[in-house]
Amino acid sequence: MKRISDVPKICILLAGCLAIAGCGGEPGADGMIIRIGNGTEPEGLDPHIVTGVPEHHILLALFEGLVRADTTDLSPTPGVAETWEESDDKRVYTFHLRADAKWSNGDPLTSKDFLYAWERILTPALASEYAYLLFPMKNAQAFNEGSIGDFAQVGAEALDDQTLRVTLENPTPYFLSLQTHYSWYPVHQGTIEAFGAKEDRISKWTRAGNLVGNGPYVLSRWSPNEIIETIPNEHYWDVAGIQNDGIHFYPITDGQTEEHMFRNGEIHITYGVPISKVPVYQAKNPEQLRIDPWIGTYFYRFNTLRPPLDDPRVRQALAMALDRDTLCERVLQAGEMPAPFLTPPDINGYLPSARVRYDVDAARKLLAEAGYPNGEGFRTVDILYSTREKNRIIAEAIQQMWKKSLGIDVTLSNQDWKVYLSTTSNAVMGYDIAAGGWIGDVIDPINFLECFITDGGNNRTGWGNEAYDELLAKTMAIGDTAERNSVFDQAETILIEEMPIIPIYHYTHPFLIDPRVRGYTSNLIGYYAYHQLRLDNAASGEL
Amino acid sequence: MPSAATSEIVEGIVIEEGASLWGDALRRLAKNRLALFGLITLSAIAFVALITPAIAPYPYDAQDLEYGAQSPNAEHWLGTDRLGRDLLSRLMYGGRISLMVGFAATAVSLLVGVLYGAAAGYFGGRLDSFMMRIVDIMYALPFTIFVIILMVFFGKNIILLFLAIGAVEWLTMARIVRGQVRSLKEKEFVEAAVAMGLPSHTILTRHLIPNALGPIIVYATLTIPNVMLLEAFLSFLGLGVQAPMSSWGLLIREGQEQMEEFPWLLIYPSIALSLTLFSLNFLGDGLRDALDPRASKD
Repeated sequence: MKRISDVPKICILLAGCLAIAGCGGEPGADGMIIRIGNGTEPEGLDPHIVTGVPEHHILLALFEGLVRADTTDLSPTPGVAETWEESDDKRVYTFHLRADAKWSNGDPLTSKDFLYAWERILTPALASEYAYLLFPMKNAQAFNEGSIGDFAQVGAEALDDQTLRVTLENPTPYFLSLQTHYSWYPVHQGTIEAFGAKEDRISKWTRAGNLVGNGPYVLSRWSPNEIIETIPNEHYWDVAGIQNDGIHFYPITDGQTEEHMFRNGEIHITYGVPISKVPVYQAKNPEQLRIDPWIGTYFYRFNTLRPPLDDPRVRQALAMALDRDTLCERVLQAGEMPAPFLTPPDINGYLPSARVRYDVDAARKLLAEAGYPNGEGFRTVDILYSTREKNRIIAEAIQQMWKKSLGIDVTLSNQDWKVYLSTTSNAVMGYDIAAGGWIGDVIDPINFLECFITDGGNNRTGWGNEAYDELLAKTMAIGDTAERNSVFDQAETILIEEMPIIPIYHYTHPFLIDPRVRGYTSNLIGYYAYHQLRLDNAASGEL
Repeated sequence: MPSAATSEIVEGIVIEEGASLWGDALRRLAKNRLALFGLITLSAIAFVALITPAIAPYPYDAQDLEYGAQSPNAEHWLGTDRLGRDLLSRLMYGGRISLMVGFAATAVSLLVGVLYGAAAGYFGGRLDSFMMRIVDIMYALPFTIFVIILMVFFGKNIILLFLAIGAVEWLTMARIVRGQVRSLKEKEFVEAAVAMGLPSHTILTRHLIPNALGPIIVYATLTIPNVMLLEAFLSFLGLGVQAPMSSWGLLIREGQEQMEEFPWLLIYPSIALSLTLFSLNFLGDGLRDALDPRASKD
């Protein structure tokens, strides 16, 4: 008996020791560290596995593609490749890699590393959600679908260690921009295979200390739900251009907490702003608030495999009973635009002609046609969202709109980002209606529309339409922008008629930024150059 | 003097047998002004909660996005929230939930904790050790995970929320009662009861628990606010009250997020919760004095 009761005391003692040791390890002054709110704990840091914006922010610091983008106008600038040439028919790109390109552990970075990475993301067994972004490359789709077993047939070839040739299926105007996206980043073969097989989705290779990257920063500490710390990569080709001593990412889900930390000077750039704080900052501290344009759309996905949501009329009715204008104007209040279609307007001159109307009467009629007059017999459906205040407010508003105009009952549930991603994945499909959003990876309508190709990794709705897939495939071979846009329009019309998603609003990017931060440029897709950031402490006197 | 003293003692015994513990307690409680204030306020709040569906000015879920958040005015006495919902109505409906959760979960914890603790303390020995180790193990379980597991297995349901919170809150109660009973059972009146051949359960319920009522009541009054706050926390995680329904804890949490912009959303729910908790504390204090069998018979 005695011995049993002694156990807890020992545990307490041990815990005490650990706590003290933990405190001792905390560093004191830390130079010029830029602290950035990152919204939520990332799903992971494997560029071939993740799909979200929070992950994108961190991967930008840890990896680099062949080509970077100018942070102002997004035009291609040298990355791992110093120069590149494009063939006359725009189907073949030859990249000349830097001779001094290195991995963060000092290993030389060669064209073979890119081949390894592309083979890995396209390997069917890895089931990468983003594999389709590589499909412009010749035979990449066939390899990913398993109809070609030999990667040598895919249009990527290492002429020598410094020369890489990529052959495309069709001329792809946005091909160079794709290189800024993490699905095209190189990964370090030695590290991946030291911690598991090539096609392991869960592996320890991305842990701090293990991860080897080629970006301006190295992962130095990853404390889940607390902090992700990076320090400058001494092997980075432009190490001299790194203006700060490290970037720290804070995975804070709660916007209020983040705003408090910002006010206390603990964070320099936030992930977002709580909705109700936008007018307050506009009035009191406009220099700290920025509302940048962002090319993206917030929408609700339907699980089209579950009745009654498998009926397009029901989906239409729900979409038409949603008052986007009032929602944007009265609830969101950060300049968001109501979205009657998926693709944000005016990408390469493309403006979709199909639109969802706000028409309660027509919505009621459709619901009655589908067999649910006044919502009778309609089961209670659930709206799932990842834990964020903004998602909750929107869901509560929509819940009531549907209840009032269609007479259907809706419950709300929220899940942590990682859990949410797995619940909504194509393999699980464990939801009725899920709030989601899409931020463009490249500035091209295809990037939005191809999310919903049949069985696409980012589809997550169970919806598929052959005509839609064919139209999008057709756009790949069209060079003329106007003609391409008209095909996009046909595809988007199908999407809006079938309504596997309800477009709700087009994003803006409201966030708070410390006025001392220099070198921050914003652009439509949130492509940042962290190494250019610095703090102008001379300005701190004014604060 | 000796004769007078004797008569008083005799009289005392007569009272102790004649008037019940509760009758005695009520008489003493009525003399305690603060406790009386607590009782009346609580009753009023409970009464309002009871008839809310009949008197609430608006439905709790009626929103008016165009109207938005407005400070208190003639139409909406306590103002509205960002979705244009009437705060007074939401406060009234939320009170129903908060009071229900508060009292039901506390009742569960009282019932389980008192019986469990008393049994462990009274029988002592191996049984006591065994029962208390179970309590230790339950203590070691992280509460949130425990409730989340319950919710995942049995689905979201407000009754389950009462049970889940009650199931966690009884632990401390069990420890307190056990300690009390252990010290009380050495007292002469228990020995006398044993000598008179009373069965254990009678001794427990008639002699030991009433004597331990003071700490039990104080702890119970502390449990109710605790439970209300827990409910707010769980609701925030999406495990408790489901939107658009609300509770005081949830209203306060939402209000606190916007206290700079819309202070009324924090102030009124806080007043409602504080008033309830003050009343509970006054009443608990008064009840403890009133129910203490050892208190002077003045």
